[in-house]
Amino acid sequence: MNKNRQREEQKNRFFQKDNTIAAKDRIVAWPRMGNIDLALVALVSSLGVKIVEPPPNTNEALEIGVKNSIEGICLPYKLNLANYIMALEKGANTLMMFQAPGSCRFGNYTKMAQKTLKKLGYKFDMVVFDMYQSKMKQTLQAFWHVTRCMNPYRYYKGFSMGFNKAFAIDTAERLLFYTRPRELNKGDAERCYKKWYKIIRETNSVLGCKRLKKQVIEDFKQIPIDKKKIVPKVYLLGEFFVLLDPYANKEIEKTLGDLGVEVERQIFFSDWLEHVLKPSFLYKKESHRERCVRFAEKYMKRAIGGETIETVGDTVFASKNGIDGVIHIMPFSCMPEIVSQNILSKVSREEDIPVMSLVFDEQTGKAGYQTRIEAFIDLVKRKKMKSKIKNENKKEEMLAKC
Amino acid sequence: MEDNSKIIGIPRAMSYYNNYPFYYGFFSSLGFKIILSDKTTTKLINEGSNYVVSDTCLPIKVFVGHIINLLNKRCDKIFIPSIQSTAYKVNNCTKIRGLPEIIRNVINQSFKMIEPTLDKTNNITFKDFCYDIASQLDIFDKEKIEAAIKEGWTIYNNFQKMTLVGVPFEEAVKSAIEGKILPKPIEIVRPLSVVIMAHGYNLFDERISMRLINKLEKMGVKAYTGLNVSRQDAINSIQELGEIQYWANELDLTGAAAYFMLNNKVDGIIALSAFGCGPDSLMVDEIQYHATEKNMPMINLTIDEHTGEAGFVTRVEAFVDMLIRRKRKIIQESNIKVLPSSKKEKVIVSEEVVKNLTFV
Repeated sequence: MNKNRQREEQKNRFFQKDNTIAAKDRIVAWPRMGNIDLALVALVSSLGVKIVEPPPNTNEALEIGVKNSIEGICLPYKLNLANYIMALEKGANTLMMFQAPGSCRFGNYTKMAQKTLKKLGYKFDMVVFDMYQSKMKQTLQAFWHVTRCMNPYRYYKGFSMGFNKAFAIDTAERLLFYTRPRELNKGDAERCYKKWYKIIRETNSVLGCKRLKKQVIEDFKQIPIDKKKIVPKVYLLGEFFVLLDPYANKEIEKTLGDLGVEVERQIFFSDWLEHVLKPSFLYKKESHRERCVRFAEKYMKRAIGGETIETVGDTVFASKNGIDGVIHIMPFSCMPEIVSQNILSKVSREEDIPVMSLVFDEQTGKAGYQTRIEAFIDLVKRKKMKSKIKNENKKEEMLAKC
Repeated sequence: MEDNSKIIGIPRAMSYYNNYPFYYGFFSSLGFKIILSDKTTTKLINEGSNYVVSDTCLPIKVFVGHIINLLNKRCDKIFIPSIQSTAYKVNNCTKIRGLPEIIRNVINQSFKMIEPTLDKTNNITFKDFCYDIASQLDIFDKEKIEAAIKEGWTIYNNFQKMTLVGVPFEEAVKSAIEGKILPKPIEIVRPLSVVIMAHGYNLFDERISMRLINKLEKMGVKAYTGLNVSRQDAINSIQELGEIQYWANELDLTGAAAYFMLNNKVDGIIALSAFGCGPDSLMVDEIQYHATEKNMPMINLTIDEHTGEAGFVTRVEAFVDMLIRRKRKIIQESNIKVLPSSKKEKVIVSEEVVKNLTFV
């Protein structure tokens, strides 16, 4: 216990919380990651603090990040750093970030970013909350430090709206993945998703947010789809950031959807949020991680940090649930995912499921991926056809016997 | 014919370079004969690379190569520890944590893997680690295990005593195993000194580091390594720099570099890291930041399986040349007169300066 305290003290010494900025002068910013903004904007603005949103991730943003970070670090850090710099340029003075020590290099991001930004001459207060133990307490403490908001209703409003928005947008995304390959008029699903993205962003009441999810589902149901179409189903697995951020993964879901493939992603921001923030005794069903540990047992006996065990477990799960293929994506030089890449080749062989690994870094064009994805999808489709014919033959044989 | 069940294979890679004296004492006290794999060669690295994906870093490829080597020696029990964390929330690199997982899934031959876990974040202490090894070897006699742990520590302490006073790694391991303690070696005064920040498995592997220490000594440079710093000193100096120990094997790198940098014992820092090593990229950057602040020259040498020796030597030579010139300039700028300005003038040179000037 003594050691724990020592470490805690050590950490506090490093992340000295800056109390000189008054709550009303604070302008908060955080790095981008997919649709995380929707929830966080709702939460922080309801606590009464000004917000600066960094511009969306683009090539220019990435260039800023690459210029200011070291050679060997992974893609998510470069994008995060670019977000920080752009937000600080726009006038932010408080940066928020969560971290999970002990997973991989991710635990070191804030420390490095802080140093780099100070070297560049920015003045700011970095608020970090650990996602390791007593997560809810840490989160609340961080928000209290930033906002000094005393009103419990505002916290309720913020968290409720944030959660509901996260659920709504993730539901919309799930439905988009389902509808896109099946839609009769090309572009319907995409349009519907964009419409709802805007509505979710603008909704500003607790009740309105609660209703969002249902409305999204109803609206997506009205898109005409071809229900009889045979659509191969592909799992998208891999590193958390690259999975969630459409810029980092070069919109791989859209590419796949346009090729007539249904994408399923096991990691969603809202699921993760629920899993991380909810106390464990409230969590009755088997969580995603537990399921992964169970399925990966044959290949891995211990969790080794990062999302390795999730990737391996989900691949085994996919093969047992009739999924046609797995696309495994990761940023270049990601340590945990290299381990999973090594393991996946055996899983693919033994569980008889096609797996393709795609590595993303800052220098890759979209065309190269397109070719590889198309080839992989051809393979998956052919495999599906073959198994279908086999099944039909079996059926006929059975019928003939009868 | 020897009894095959009492033989255990230890690959000469990864934690061999940090903990082998302990492992030797522990296993031999339990009555096991240890078979080490051969020293790293290019052929061995190539064999290892065939089994893993190309993005994997060099040390892992070397490790897999050593496992293949052990299997070729008909070893059916191989010791592959999974060292997850060495203190609360001080975790290791994912690849080292997952060594048994990688080996289990990339190698198709059947053998018994002794795979204990050390994870202090989740309260699996070193003692549990040792008991774990013993239970996997079907030994449950508590007294025997305790005695083995004690024996292991004795040999490890002797090893550490020697390395702290500057005995080279190979000799220290050899004599620690024989139960001897070598005295402090006679120090040859060398005009320059550097600290090499690198993991033991990169630096002391003669193929990977290409005998960097010997090369430097031939150039007249004394090289300090992580082994010359005690654990406590290393931790203290990291804290003095205002950093936190984040990686389990960080003390070899940041600890050593910080210690020698803060004590002004060295003229420069050489960082030796494998290409694509995640922790190294951060640690080198961290030290680079402080080295720039303290105006200390630093070079980062990256190695992979294709690194040519010639290019490597050129870079080291250039760095050493730069250090020489820098030191000469410092001496010239200080008020000590080295060369007489006229024939009549006599310069009295103190002994210290002579020591520093042997190379000029």
